[in-house]
Amino acid sequence: MSKSAKEGVVVTQNVWKIFGPRAQEAMEAVRRENLSKAEVLERYQAVVGVRDVSISVGEGEIFCIMGLSGSGKSTLVRHINRLIEPTGGDILINGVNVGDLNAEELRIMRADKIGMVFQNMALLPHRSVRDNIAFALELRNVDAFTRRQVADRVIELVSLQGYGDRMPSELSGGMQQRVGLARAMAADPDILLMDEPFSALDPLIRRGLQDEFLDLSRTMKKTTLFITHDLDEAIRMGNRIAIMKDGEIVQTGTPEEIVTKPADDYVADFVAGISKLKLIFAHTVMRPVAQYEASGPSLPGLDACPQATPDDDLDVLIARSVGQDNPIVIMSEDKPVGVVTKDDLLRGMQGEV
Amino acid sequence: MTDETDFRKPIIEFAGPSGDYYADTFLKIQKAKLPRFHFNRAALLGSFVWAALRGNWLLFTIGFVVDLVALINLALVYKYTQAAADNADKAYLVERYEGWSQTHLIGAIIVFILGRLLFAWLADRFYAKQYERWRISHVVNSNFVPSRLLIALLISVLVLPIMLYRSTQFAPDERACIRQDRAIAQGEDVAFKAKFDCMIIGEFPTLFWIQRPDEISYPRDDNGNRIVLRTPPAEDAPPVNLNTYTAQTIDDGIGYLTVFYGAFFDGITRFLRGMLSAITSVFVGTPWPVTMCVLLFVAFKMAGTRTAIFVGASLIYLALFGFWQTAMDTLSLVVAASIICVVVGLPLGIWVGKSSRGQTIITPILDVMQTIPSFVYLLPAIAFFSIGKPPAILATVIFAMPPMVRLTALGLRQVAENTREAALAFGANPRQLLLKVELPLALPSIMAGINQVVMMSLSMVVIAALIGAGGMGYVVTEALENTETGRGVLAGVGIALLAMMIDRVVQKANANRQ
Repeated sequence: MSKSAKEGVVVTQNVWKIFGPRAQEAMEAVRRENLSKAEVLERYQAVVGVRDVSISVGEGEIFCIMGLSGSGKSTLVRHINRLIEPTGGDILINGVNVGDLNAEELRIMRADKIGMVFQNMALLPHRSVRDNIAFALELRNVDAFTRRQVADRVIELVSLQGYGDRMPSELSGGMQQRVGLARAMAADPDILLMDEPFSALDPLIRRGLQDEFLDLSRTMKKTTLFITHDLDEAIRMGNRIAIMKDGEIVQTGTPEEIVTKPADDYVADFVAGISKLKLIFAHTVMRPVAQYEASGPSLPGLDACPQATPDDDLDVLIARSVGQDNPIVIMSEDKPVGVVTKDDLLRGMQGEV
Repeated sequence: MTDETDFRKPIIEFAGPSGDYYADTFLKIQKAKLPRFHFNRAALLGSFVWAALRGNWLLFTIGFVVDLVALINLALVYKYTQAAADNADKAYLVERYEGWSQTHLIGAIIVFILGRLLFAWLADRFYAKQYERWRISHVVNSNFVPSRLLIALLISVLVLPIMLYRSTQFAPDERACIRQDRAIAQGEDVAFKAKFDCMIIGEFPTLFWIQRPDEISYPRDDNGNRIVLRTPPAEDAPPVNLNTYTAQTIDDGIGYLTVFYGAFFDGITRFLRGMLSAITSVFVGTPWPVTMCVLLFVAFKMAGTRTAIFVGASLIYLALFGFWQTAMDTLSLVVAASIICVVVGLPLGIWVGKSSRGQTIITPILDVMQTIPSFVYLLPAIAFFSIGKPPAILATVIFAMPPMVRLTALGLRQVAENTREAALAFGANPRQLLLKVELPLALPSIMAGINQVVMMSLSMVVIAALIGAGGMGYVVTEALENTETGRGVLAGVGIALLAMMIDRVVQKANANRQ
């Protein structure tokens, strides 16, 4: 983990959610006997939605939670602004336990600190785009003039100039989701919760919005929890990824860690179809120069070889390697630190490093 | 492809005896090759006994009813032959009874033959359905179980004798039975047959007689205060049945309330009258050219040119036939009732829509309000508020409010869960959620509710003319009393135009707004 739990802006500690009228009973039994999901269902007619999840999201980080439908990822993210109450465990935001807030404090926290984007947009159909975007401000009784100013600025951020006075129903799906994004950012929250924001859009528009969002988040540095069922998207967006299955987190790590060192067969299955070109870097596939020379051939002169740095990805390495007979030499601070042959490249593309 | 024996095996298991026959038949049904006139011979002979053994109670009922009807017809033949013999001296009675007896004989034969054929025709088809159900769940009856005959026997013993007895006897009339009851009460001996006839065939017997309740009146005492005075019924007063007793008690209750809480009801009456007179003074007090122009303008603004033309034509009809004042009277009543319905119904609807307790409390009350015939409202309205316009408004409000409550609640419940969730996620408090999200989204449904309220108010206001509401309804009631068809038709058309005007305008306005 890149940041310790203490530094985390959003921290969940052993969060459990069990649905059903006998949830508390089931919770105690699970703690006592460590029951499986099926056993809880059979004995207590209760469904385990989230199972003992502890994550810590650092400031400015984009943390992706990836899982198939029913894996509990949406349930988990709704705990963070307490749209769902946990059955067990704590949620801390900037060190404040969300469970301890009273109704009014909770509302203030939701309005000031957390913005949320929904898969189905959930815009208010009876309000114009501008009024939708300014909704969080209106709930905080900000005056109409300020609301308008803020909304117009955010509208520009998501490139919806000129659409402020349109109704949501007049906009395309992609534009509606921009409104959703703008609404989440209008109150300038520290934390963004994005619940499969781009899943309902077609691939081209999704790609465009992903890029725009990455640009935005680079400048705005918001701590983001990004839910998706699409590993490609998780890898594109996330600084770190947590993979969920049946309410549990199976693996947490950077995209490269997930792809190169899948924790179990379930993750490995997912990763199998993923292109590694942008995920694997020279420092993972290179061999030390000595090891290369020990295996037989001697390295030709540095000038005769294509060169790259340890942080170049496979994509770059392949481009350098095309049309060359000599292996690539990896240079760090003007010294050769490693060698990448074409075989190494091919293995890297397979993810076998 | 599965072998045909694979199809046959479960059928044979299901049917038990004569499994092969049923396997053949069911396969034919599955292949749609069953002949049009296919009869099950065992069913033709065994009828409901066969159905009971096979455990198909639907077929059992059909077979049993067929045979029962045939038997009853035979019993009637016996009854009328007997009656003809008893009245042998009156030629016209003999002729009538013999005719009836012949008709029933033919009936019995036809019912028996056709019924059995139908039964045998249905038997295999229904039995095949039973097999399909059995495949889904083995709880469904299968096989050939003789013990099921016991149930069949029990039903026959319960039903057959009494049915046959009933059809061979002439039913005693109600008065004779009451007289007989009194005779029994005075210790006279009555033949068992007469008692049995009164108990079983004829009206449901009066199981118990109750002492007549005390006569209650509310005279003033020496200080001029009302007191409750109970007068016990006379010694020899005949006892009454449950209906009379309860009705009397309800009357006493209403009397008590009106005497001791009269101020409350007077208050309501005064409030309603005040509200109504304010509205009436607007509609009736304003000179007709002004009212007409305002109505036309409102129609044009809310619903466009075409509706405005229709409204204009309708208003001219009302004016030309001399219904202007009466129509405005009716309109005032409708407006008053509708305002109360909306003011009371909207909060109630919000409560029903948002709280499950509200729903459990209010929904049955609404159901009752809507099922009770509208005339019935008029009686308690008169009892508490005497006759006139205020009780008419109250009866109208009770009649017209349910759709307001229901449609408001429906609109609130139809607000998508994720919209609500989004509002909460941005920090809406319950009041903001209701006012800024739920109510605006429920508005179309609420408007539909208001439209319903107005239409139902109009129909009830017309009926309420019976208790002195006046207006267009009064013209119709009067025409009804004096059988003045022409006048009645004119007023009826006027009411219809009034209703269509309001409906058109409200609906068009609704559609335009969206």
